[in-house]
Amino acid sequence: MKKSRIAALVAVAATAALFLSGCAPQSEVVSGSNLSVAWNQPFYSYNGATSYGNATANANIIYATGSAFNYYNDVPELVKDTSFGTYEKISDEPLVVKYTLPDTAKWSDGQPVTAADLMLSWVAVGGVYNDTEFDPSEYTDPDTGELDGKQPADVVYFDSGADPTNPSGLGLVTDLPEVSADGKSVTLTYSSPYVDWELAFGVGLPAHIIGKKALDAGSNADGAAAVLTAIQDKDTAALAAISNFWNTGYNFTELPTDAELLVANGPYVISDFVADQYITLTANKNYAGAHKPKVEEISVRFITDPMAAVQALQNGEVQIISPQATADVADALNALDVTTLFGDEGTYEHIDLQFANGKSGTMDNPKLREAFMKIIPRADIVEKLIVPLNANAQVRNSQLFLPGAAGYDESVANNGSAAYAEVDIEGAKALIAESGVTNPEVCMLFSSTNPRRANEFALIQQSGALAGFNITDCSSEDWGGLLGTPGAYDASLFGWQSTSLGVTNSSPTFKTDGINNLNYYSNPEVDALLDELDGEFDAAKQITLQQEIDKLLWSDFYGVTVFQFPAVTAYDQNKIANVSQSPLAPTVFWNIWEWAPVSK
Amino acid sequence: MTSFVVRRLITSFVIFLAATYLMYVLTALSGDPLADLRTSTSPQKAQLIESRSALLHLDVPVYLRYFIWLGGVSKCFIGQCDLGVTIQNQPVSVLLAQAASSTLQLVTIAALAAIVLGLLVGITTALRQYSSYDYGVTFISFLFFSLPIFWVAVLLKQYLAIGFNDFLSAPDIPWWFVAVAAVVLGVFWMLVLPWRGRQRLWTFLIALAASAGMLTYIKLSNWFTYPHIGIVGLIVTGAAIAFGVTAVSTGIRNRRALFASLIVAGVGCAIYFPFLYGFSFYLEPWSFALLAVATVGASFGIGWFMGKPDRLPVARTAAIVGLLMGFVITIDRMMYVWDDFAGSERVKGRPIATIGAMTPGLEGTMWVHMVDTFTHLLLPTIALILISFAGYTRYSRASLLEVMNQDYIRTARAKGLSERTVVVRHAFRNALIPIATIVAFDIGSIIGGAVITERVFGWTGMGALFQYGLDHVDPNPVMAFFLVTGSLAILFNLIADIVYAGLDPRIRLT
Repeated sequence: MKKSRIAALVAVAATAALFLSGCAPQSEVVSGSNLSVAWNQPFYSYNGATSYGNATANANIIYATGSAFNYYNDVPELVKDTSFGTYEKISDEPLVVKYTLPDTAKWSDGQPVTAADLMLSWVAVGGVYNDTEFDPSEYTDPDTGELDGKQPADVVYFDSGADPTNPSGLGLVTDLPEVSADGKSVTLTYSSPYVDWELAFGVGLPAHIIGKKALDAGSNADGAAAVLTAIQDKDTAALAAISNFWNTGYNFTELPTDAELLVANGPYVISDFVADQYITLTANKNYAGAHKPKVEEISVRFITDPMAAVQALQNGEVQIISPQATADVADALNALDVTTLFGDEGTYEHIDLQFANGKSGTMDNPKLREAFMKIIPRADIVEKLIVPLNANAQVRNSQLFLPGAAGYDESVANNGSAAYAEVDIEGAKALIAESGVTNPEVCMLFSSTNPRRANEFALIQQSGALAGFNITDCSSEDWGGLLGTPGAYDASLFGWQSTSLGVTNSSPTFKTDGINNLNYYSNPEVDALLDELDGEFDAAKQITLQQEIDKLLWSDFYGVTVFQFPAVTAYDQNKIANVSQSPLAPTVFWNIWEWAPVSK
Repeated sequence: MTSFVVRRLITSFVIFLAATYLMYVLTALSGDPLADLRTSTSPQKAQLIESRSALLHLDVPVYLRYFIWLGGVSKCFIGQCDLGVTIQNQPVSVLLAQAASSTLQLVTIAALAAIVLGLLVGITTALRQYSSYDYGVTFISFLFFSLPIFWVAVLLKQYLAIGFNDFLSAPDIPWWFVAVAAVVLGVFWMLVLPWRGRQRLWTFLIALAASAGMLTYIKLSNWFTYPHIGIVGLIVTGAAIAFGVTAVSTGIRNRRALFASLIVAGVGCAIYFPFLYGFSFYLEPWSFALLAVATVGASFGIGWFMGKPDRLPVARTAAIVGLLMGFVITIDRMMYVWDDFAGSERVKGRPIATIGAMTPGLEGTMWVHMVDTFTHLLLPTIALILISFAGYTRYSRASLLEVMNQDYIRTARAKGLSERTVVVRHAFRNALIPIATIVAFDIGSIIGGAVITERVFGWTGMGALFQYGLDHVDPNPVMAFFLVTGSLAILFNLIADIVYAGLDPRIRLT
């Protein structure tokens, strides 16, 4: 009896419950318009100017949430953003540049961008006030090596990689820049001419926030003023605190609890960040500049595997991907209903010949250098190894110019590279015969872990054998460390990365004893032209000088350039428009504010 | 036993130390950590190389650099672990914490599901040795065992995510599919269920009719857009759970246990509507966890109250039924938000995800996030289960078969014990001994061994940490990975030995 009574109770309760189904909220999902982009590495620092934060994964986000006086478009050429600031060169000798900020330059918390922000950028990136005696490794944790904020209170050290004892770039502005009375413009005076001055300066982190965090300023205005005063008075104690916060305060791998760290001056601001998953950018409500964004919210999802990115695009989880270009990725993308952009990356593959200190000494002989250049099947390498990844790929024919950049076409027409467009076995045989060496020995250094370079080597080896070259394999997994080692190899095959079109990038590579001159090339004429180039402000003359150097390099049989690394971007044209990719960082993000949602 | 554990720990520690040395040296010698900087044309190249060399102590020979790392790690004993920094100057301990939590999230469900399914299938195949069901499972598990995971993952994404999402945009099952699927399911159940002869035909017909009915309902009710179990489904499932659990746990003859189970299932059905439309909207993860504990507790109480004179088995049975009922109701509640979730602007009508752990920016109630986690975990979990499932079925089948031929099983049968008691109490428990070793090993290795799964499904966990370190010739993250997986291997090995002693009284730890 007892049991059935319980059962009855249960039945009554159940019936009652049936009628209790009442008021419930309607929708449980909060909605908003959005877009997702895949990138292969997580963001980890909001200060890209430190040696710690200097990586593409950070640069993309910093670019989207920041404004600059100029930026590279997809040609690539330098474009100015006058809604954020203007600059003019007042004199060449000494080099004086005046930067002015309009009222449309504002931080996302409403605070205007002022001279204090520019001065902070100068003191930090230029590193002029850095304590030259200070050895950061002495004051950091010896086991981690991280600058963890324990540096002494009186030491000014901005970890921007600048070296005050050997200044370059912004570090050449050794005197305190002049700030205008209205606090809206700054005038920089360089102590020696620097032709890439246009690329040297910009606004970095917000001075008013750093002032609040590092100097305990009460309000935004006080914060900016405190930073400006500290820099102008060279107040070591305050600058030490500022540098400490500048070095470490902006490193985060998930959304920081302090929202003030996210204050930015670009079209977007960071609104969400989940460790190892994604970072979300939302349109900056206080943005008054010319780059008004069209998409309300953009999430950058971190996807390492290229094929996973392709399938995520196919599944509609991301709308734009820019994976590492491989033949599999190209095939998979061609089969999908997406728009695929094939293009170039900044890095280019090239073959250098050892002018001295080679393993066999073969390359000391100009005739053999020329013969070797004649047998390199450049067109074949591009056709077989790069065209499957980038149908538009072409042989790069200039040592100095990025294909597409101003001056490239003219330089290629005149620099003599045309002689090496096709493999010339007979010509090479004749040159070898003239040199009197039989079966010249060439040992090539390249990365043994890179299959593409191994394939390139195989093609060169076959072609060289026809002309009588005995090309051997000097590859190593430690090839990077072997570069420049005397007696280790005769020719090297690797890539140089270009991060800008700055003309001063050439000197280290081609000047006698330059840091990147690993093949002992030395030509006084080239050295003189490079010196002239490093002091030439006129863009047209810069190009002429570069073309002259390019021609000399080819006629000296310096070596050959082969191809730009292929890059691929794919996007869902049914969801998003106006996507294009630039060979230079920040690649596909360069026009993020122009991305427009497609409504159907 | 204490002395055994201490001795084991000491020897393991020494071996582990030697292993870390080997690992560190091998990683550090595997390439050039400055490779990317050497080809840079940056004006700061020299400074960058110098600062990285200082950061990673590249001026110290590898054989001695290990001791710098060891010095940092040994500070763990005083509570200040220092695992060094990566090549990008990120502290490894922070990365390790993030990676470990993400990996645990990924592998926990997969490991549990693989163990439960593997044991279940392994035991049933052993009990029905050399039946077509047994052969079928053997074939399938060898098939899974031999599939490479990256390939399985790509196929799963293509068909279960992309294909299924395409299907969901216009979810209609054609009639021919209903017919074919019903026949296939009918044959499947006929082969799985143990009956013979004429009964076999009936099994086929009933399964055929049930499957056809179910598929027709799914088709007509637009089930894939508005999935649900519903009160009818819940009553049927509840009854099945009550009978099934009682049969295995205490035997169906124990009327008290059966009655308690049915009451618990009935209560579950009774609170279904108030839960679904009422208080489930106000649940947070912590109150949901509390509710789950309360459910099991209440069910246990019902069993305890009903179970006189032998309370414990009845209470246990009721508690299991309560847990399973709660699980089914939770699934139904998640289905309730499904169309809302799938149609949201974030998910864009493509609910099954191929990448990551969550949809960026998705906001909503706990249930929405549960569905979101489910859709993201689905594919990697299936991939992981397929691999370990095969092993578990093989081992548990072999182990149970061996035990079933032992003399004491014959004795138990001779005593007149029911087949349930023989299998569950006498055979199963002893069959667990060898499986315990394998499971313990597997849990240790699955945490570190999901390298490929993680990469393919975009989970940044332990595997990603390991791979990142190897790619950049950066020993610190690799060593952090090795520390965790190595200690887990040692720990689980030890646990396996202790579990042995618990399962088999003949084994004593001295």
